[in-house]
Amino acid sequence: MELSRGFRRILESVALDVFRGEFLTIVGGSGTGKTSLLRLLGGLTPASAGDIRFRGRPVNGPPEGVVVVFQDYSRALLQWRTVAANVALGLEGRLGTAALKERVERALEMVGLQHCAGDQPWQLSGGMQQRVQIARALALQPDVLMMDEPFGALDAMTKATMQDELLRVHERTGTSFVFITHDIEEAVYLGDRVVVLGGSPGRIHTTVSIGLPRPRDQITTRQSPEFLQHRLDIHAAVRESAGGDAHF
Amino acid sequence: MRKGQAINLQLIAALQYARGLLPLLLGLAIWQAFGPEKSPYFPPPSAWLDSIVFLARNGKLWPALAATVTTFAAGTGLACAIGFSLGLLIGRSRPLRRALGPLLEFCRGLPPPVLVPVAVLLLGYAESLKLLVVVWVSIWPVLLNTSMAIGQLDELLIDVSRTFHFNAVTTLRKIVAPAVVPAFLLGVRIAIPLAIIITLLVEMLTSVPGIGSLIVTSQRQFRPAEVYGLLVLVGILGLAVNAIFTSLERAVLKRWPPTLQ
Amino acid sequence: MRTSKFNIPGLVTILVLLAGWEVLVRSGAAKFDYLPAPSGILLASGSLIVSGELFSQALHTVESILIGWTVAAAIGIGLGLALGLSPLLRRWSLASFEVLRPLPAIAFLPLALLLFNFSLTTELVLMIYASVWPVFINTMGGVMGVTSRLYDVSRTLRLSRMQTLVKVIVPAAAPAIVTGCRLSMGLTLVMAIVAEMIANPHGLGYAVISELQAMQPQRMFAYVLFIGMLSIALNAGLLWVSRHILRSHRWAHADHA
Repeated sequence: MELSRGFRRILESVALDVFRGEFLTIVGGSGTGKTSLLRLLGGLTPASAGDIRFRGRPVNGPPEGVVVVFQDYSRALLQWRTVAANVALGLEGRLGTAALKERVERALEMVGLQHCAGDQPWQLSGGMQQRVQIARALALQPDVLMMDEPFGALDAMTKATMQDELLRVHERTGTSFVFITHDIEEAVYLGDRVVVLGGSPGRIHTTVSIGLPRPRDQITTRQSPEFLQHRLDIHAAVRESAGGDAHF
Repeated sequence: MRKGQAINLQLIAALQYARGLLPLLLGLAIWQAFGPEKSPYFPPPSAWLDSIVFLARNGKLWPALAATVTTFAAGTGLACAIGFSLGLLIGRSRPLRRALGPLLEFCRGLPPPVLVPVAVLLLGYAESLKLLVVVWVSIWPVLLNTSMAIGQLDELLIDVSRTFHFNAVTTLRKIVAPAVVPAFLLGVRIAIPLAIIITLLVEMLTSVPGIGSLIVTSQRQFRPAEVYGLLVLVGILGLAVNAIFTSLERAVLKRWPPTLQ
Repeated sequence: MRTSKFNIPGLVTILVLLAGWEVLVRSGAAKFDYLPAPSGILLASGSLIVSGELFSQALHTVESILIGWTVAAAIGIGLGLALGLSPLLRRWSLASFEVLRPLPAIAFLPLALLLFNFSLTTELVLMIYASVWPVFINTMGGVMGVTSRLYDVSRTLRLSRMQTLVKVIVPAAAPAIVTGCRLSMGLTLVMAIVAEMIANPHGLGYAVISELQAMQPQRMFAYVLFIGMLSIALNAGLLWVSRHILRSHRWAHADHA
């Protein structure tokens, strides 16, 4: 598929498959069109050429079963609603009260925020607010979760905790993940496959299969020779795709 | 981007904005087409123009306009000068601000129309009445804005003046006063429409010469076209004053960093 | 130096001023023949309250204000939502509104008199015209200011248009809408008083003028005082209500990165 905006071509000749249950990460430097790709996949932006299909059906607007989680969590949450009410947002009108309550509780449990249900988002830390957004998406029991640099605004320690939580959710629910990041190590740590996006207009440079065993661990996995090799390869790929002037 | 291109873009933007005038122009056109010439309530726009021209010819328009504009200008000018000076004085002293705070807030919150009968009672129907009321009402936004800005003045600037051994007057002149200019101008921006309104109000309530009393007279003598015409005139006056102030403000604030809203 | 929560210097200043005023009038030093002393004003207020005159005049004014303010809020919010949500509507009408906006409502007073005579209608029309603007402009601004991120969210969660409007847009714009309604109250009061002074011989505004013409400075000042208190009460009341409505919005906007 292709995406053009005005006079600028943002993405070109992108052909991508996302497999059921996989954790796909997408890396690239700034300006390579990562966010645009995610918005295309999430049905928030229409493609200028080519087509996108979800389960065989063309995508025309956000498809049922696909939910996007955004980087700017404080703007993506309804700050005037409680945490529980935020998580319930996508379910209201679709489920009965009892079923809704149960789903919300389960979603909050999955991200470890069950004790914050009555708080307002602005009372929580950045990491917790992002977890609320994730819980909101999970409450819909989606087939695919699209995440646009969700941990980009968090500090290193919170990031590590959140990465492991995400992997736990992935294991428990079997949801497919499409995860965008500029952090190569994060991409390798989380992903089953890593797609390297590069150049301007952006195109897929390489796709790397990550052969690391699951469950993964912040310390041992990240020190393993396979991890380091993947990291090296992808780093080289990113630099190559930027044509020498990578901004890292 | 070349200059020609930039101007073209501006022109296009202006034309696009003008599209919004359609309802107004359409309304006026329909009114013009279907409004009965001698209607006691809805004379057509052409009649408005005629009546204004008539007023200008028989010498009633210009004196009234002059009276209103002079009062407004003098009143605003005085309010700015006094408001700025008092604001500076009050703002510099926290205890003074605290002591005068409730009083100033009360004065600001008094509905302006109420002051007119009070002024009439105390001063009688004099010309100075108009000016006094306008100044009184317009002073508050300027004074309060200036005083608050001084209160929030960055302490660092005071340290700077001490480092240079400035005395009080020099500090005021070179550091404090310029620092509060943006806030002062904001207060003036609020005071200006207020001053226009109060000028008209006083003229209407007391029949002191001016556009306000002219409109009331036209209404009393059942000359609707005049009433509409003068209304449009007031609108144009407001727009003109606003445009002048905006360009003045822009010129003055050129050297200040753009303020974040 | 510790400052107590209650503003004592402020209170003292006002008391000193009142005392000075009293002395000035009693001693005859002031050259204003008609300036009443605060004690006189207080006495007059008492008699007005007891005789029930204050109440009946105040009732008229307060009733008109409430009606005018509510209608203006309804119209303003409606217009603000319509123009805020529809760029098409904005493109083809906003400029017309912007041309009308700077026209002071008071300039319309003689026109309203012409069309509706000395009546409650004149008062209401004038009030409503003046008060619609803050609500309209603020509502439109609030709706247009809803971050596009929230639209993304309602689309990815597949909310219907009505759900988006009610659950996302209106609450997000609520602080602006409430502010607009608060601002319009001040205008409503002012226009009510003005209308009562010139165009509708009822209510507190009319009472002030009639006491002026009857050369009763103490009673006139009593009414003036009451109008001031009404203004403070209405504003304070609205502020309290708006804080209550917006209590879940408290830090939301302070926290945005």
